[in-house]
Amino acid sequence: MRVRVKLIANYMKLLPPGTKGNTVELEVAAGATIGAVLMPLGVPLDDSTVLLLNGYQAEADALLSEGDVITAFSAIAGG
Amino acid sequence: MYGWHGRLLRVDLTHQKVSIETIDPKLLKDYIGGRGLAIRYLYDEVDPQVEPLSPENKLIFTTGPLTATTAPTGNRYMVVTKSPLTGALAHSNSGGDFPTWMKRSGFDMYIFEGRAERPVYVWVNEDAVEIRPADHLWGKEVPETTETLLAETHPEAKVACIGPAGEKLALMAAIMNDKHRAAARSGVGAVMGSKNLKAVVAMGRKNPAFYDDAGMRALSVELSKEVGVDVKKGSNLRIYGTAYVPQVTNALGILPTRNFQSGVFEGVDKIDGVALKNTYLITHKPCYRCPISCGRLTEVPEGKYAGKGEGPEYETIASLGSACGLDDLAGLLKANYRCNELGLDTISTGLTISAAMEMYEKGILTDEQTGMPLRFGDADAVIEMVNRIGYRQGFGDVLAEGSYRLAERYDHPEMSITARKQEFPGYDPRGSQGMGLLYATSNKGASHMEGDVAYEEVFGVPVKSDPLSTEGKAELVARFQDAFALIDSGGICVFFAIRYVFTKERMVWPVRLTQLLNLTTGANYTPEEAMQAAERVYTLERLFLLKAGSGPEQDTLSPRLLTEPLPEGPAKGRVVELDKMLPEYYAYRNWPGGIPAPEKLVALGL
Ligand code: SF4
Repeated sequence: MRVRVKLIANYMKLLPPGTKGNTVELEVAAGATIGAVLMPLGVPLDDSTVLLLNGYQAEADALLSEGDVITAFSAIAGG
Repeated sequence: MYGWHGRLLRVDLTHQKVSIETIDPKLLKDYIGGRGLAIRYLYDEVDPQVEPLSPENKLIFTTGPLTATTAPTGNRYMVVTKSPLTGALAHSNSGGDFPTWMKRSGFDMYIFEGRAERPVYVWVNEDAVEIRPADHLWGKEVPETTETLLAETHPEAKVACIGPAGEKLALMAAIMNDKHRAAARSGVGAVMGSKNLKAVVAMGRKNPAFYDDAGMRALSVELSKEVGVDVKKGSNLRIYGTAYVPQVTNALGILPTRNFQSGVFEGVDKIDGVALKNTYLITHKPCYRCPISCGRLTEVPEGKYAGKGEGPEYETIASLGSACGLDDLAGLLKANYRCNELGLDTISTGLTISAAMEMYEKGILTDEQTGMPLRFGDADAVIEMVNRIGYRQGFGDVLAEGSYRLAERYDHPEMSITARKQEFPGYDPRGSQGMGLLYATSNKGASHMEGDVAYEEVFGVPVKSDPLSTEGKAELVARFQDAFALIDSGGICVFFAIRYVFTKERMVWPVRLTQLLNLTTGANYTPEEAMQAAERVYTLERLFLLKAGSGPEQDTLSPRLLTEPLPEGPAKGRVVELDKMLPEYYAYRNWPGGIPAPEKLVALGL
């Protein structure tokens, strides 16, 4: 199945080379978790990262479905 | 005395008289300094019912014990007064250089009172204080005013001034320091203008000694090193400034779009920190001695939007940008530069223009009234309205009163996105419930700088909290409000403070902030005492509001947020569940019906 991964700001550099913008579409195994998709990219999966699944806060063990959008950014104050 | 000067400068503009007073050490200990000390003085000296733009109101500039110290980000000051925009309290924060120079002039606080007959500026060079004529500066914009004053006083001095907006009493006028930094919110610039006070210039070499010099230096180095490690890893604030945030809020569906008609903006990629970095960014620029350096120096080199300056901050992108439907980065930068040059708060200015745009598109306002078409996404219209607000020309004269008065005037109160008549910052509270409770209860009206629980709901700092849930938000908001009162009273920057000098114990716990305060002042606070002092400050501000007539009936939000669900995005279908959170908040604070209980006041020594 296909999911989209959006990595914001300083995490953009973790996207596969050649990615345009901050979002990439990836083919992943059915039943994959957020963590399984982000781990190979090198996204930290501890408290230093905020994860969203389709815009809702999520944990790394959340199961994915076809068409899901994962967003990750580093937890840092500022706005 | 350590940490504090224990001295204030009082400038009576009516009688052109300057006096120096000592500050009671017990007041310093109980209210810490900065915002806390200022509300104590304002409460004692100004009738809360006062007309904000009358000579009877006072304008207080105030620094904290950590201002001008070695503590990272110890570069803040606050402007405290009664707000002409909200009718409640104003306490607007700014960094840059001026606050450090002000503290080094040998005073913790400046109090300006009365009204000068002619325009003046005040030049403070330690105890040599002069009130000088400023007729030649009246009408001048911020950059020219600043440069002229540096030439007239001392090239190493620092300037805080108003632009035309403050002179003309625009209710969203800011006080600009070091040209580009703003004590922006709640119309503090209009209060300064009402006193005929164009500028304050400060310098000096006086600094209070630290109670424990070696200890203070060691802790400062330790903290700077921690920041340094994060910056090296690639901190967003350093690389992108706060301009990285639109991507985050857009993903959550809470990026203010077209006057809060949506929380998802299709043009976000064109106006975010990455776009800025790829185009107009020159470099990052810190406030005085800040290791984080989130400021942006930018330039649009040519074309009709040519200009140079600092910004945009996230809040400006959200207000003058997405809230106005604007995806033209050069146009947005120009609007930002013009706000700084005219001395305008970008948040209230942007959201007043966005309200007018919605009213125009819905046929409530006509070309005849506005003088020109006001369509979402039109950069030229935004810039033109900024200019007209700053000089109060044409329809700008109406807009200069803010969106609340605009919407009331044309019988569409739902078009104004405000709490206590002040425009919202860049987090749609329908998708960040804690922010909704925060805006509704803030002593200064809608603001993120009075307890920014977006730290938890949006950024996961110090811990994550579900933005769509109302559970536990009452306590979270109250704790953050007190924590921010402590930060603002101490004199450091919130970006640094929440992350590095609080722990996540009891939601936010000021372990190293208390150490910094103690090493500086010798006041020997426990973290409990420090948080209690912060609660004292917050509660005294609430008492000021109650007396000003801005009490529990004002603890609410514009109708749109309470009744119109978000139409799309992750927060689709949501409104702010204020009726659920507000009673919990009052209960947590022991404010039955929104009024602090007598025993609460006794416990706080009020
Ligand atoms: S973090 Fe940013 S706003 Fe805060 S003191 Fe540093 S440069 Fe200034």
